[in-house]
Amino acid sequence: MTTVPDTQASLEADLKGEIIRMYQEVADHPDGEFHFFHGREAAELFGYAPQWLDRASPGAVASFAGVGNPHERSHLQPGETVLDLGSGAGLDAIVAAWQVGPTGRVIGVDLNPAMCLKAQTHAAATGAAMECHQGRMEDIPVPDASVDVVISNGVMNLSFRKRRVAQEMFRVLRPGGRISITDIVSAKQLSQSIVNDPKLWAS
Amino acid sequence: MFRLLEETGFTRVRSAVVPRFRFRKESTQNSAEAYGVKAVMMTALKPGGDKQHVPATH
Repeated sequence: MTTVPDTQASLEADLKGEIIRMYQEVADHPDGEFHFFHGREAAELFGYAPQWLDRASPGAVASFAGVGNPHERSHLQPGETVLDLGSGAGLDAIVAAWQVGPTGRVIGVDLNPAMCLKAQTHAAATGAAMECHQGRMEDIPVPDASVDVVISNGVMNLSFRKRRVAQEMFRVLRPGGRISITDIVSAKQLSQSIVNDPKLWAS
Repeated sequence: MFRLLEETGFTRVRSAVVPRFRFRKESTQNSAEAYGVKAVMMTALKPGGDKQHVPATH
């Protein structure tokens, strides 16, 4: 007999696969048509400074798939340690690295190890220091109280266990640390057909 | 999500709608609007410590 936890675990596994597939597709084929804005067009729409986009690796800009601009209110300071949760192709991590400077540290976490490699390559191409760890936002591979700021862009909504994600962000932050995240929220409960469809949920 | 952050222990939770967010495809945008889907920016603090940078989000 299939239990509710079994069903949830199965859906989560399917969702993980779909998230990896979709955002890998954006990274591999940034000229493709997606139902969301991406690349430079999206970054400009959300107010990323043109000079950032000119300076960043073209691959990081082209594969950008955020839903807003977490830097608008992150107030990053030189020397701070920043965690970019769901760092994707690396644009937000690169911008963060410029702001915290050589005395700071930027850690990316992404579900997809290939994206981690890509983000690190993009960062290195612009002289930005960024380390990326493969991992899940529900179990962030970062020690307790080790981060000053968590940024994230359109990622938390992808999790079935948002409370757990919030707890993990809280855990990794130092006392006095802060989050600056942009994400998608819904005023109404999504229908079961959407919840049960990894393709729609990953969107 | 706002309440979730507060319940987790974050303080000074602030949110603001990302005004320019929309889906590229009109059909997706229409469905999103039907569910009240929007993009938001959220800032919050973990209490404690001697440096508490006040987010400017209102």
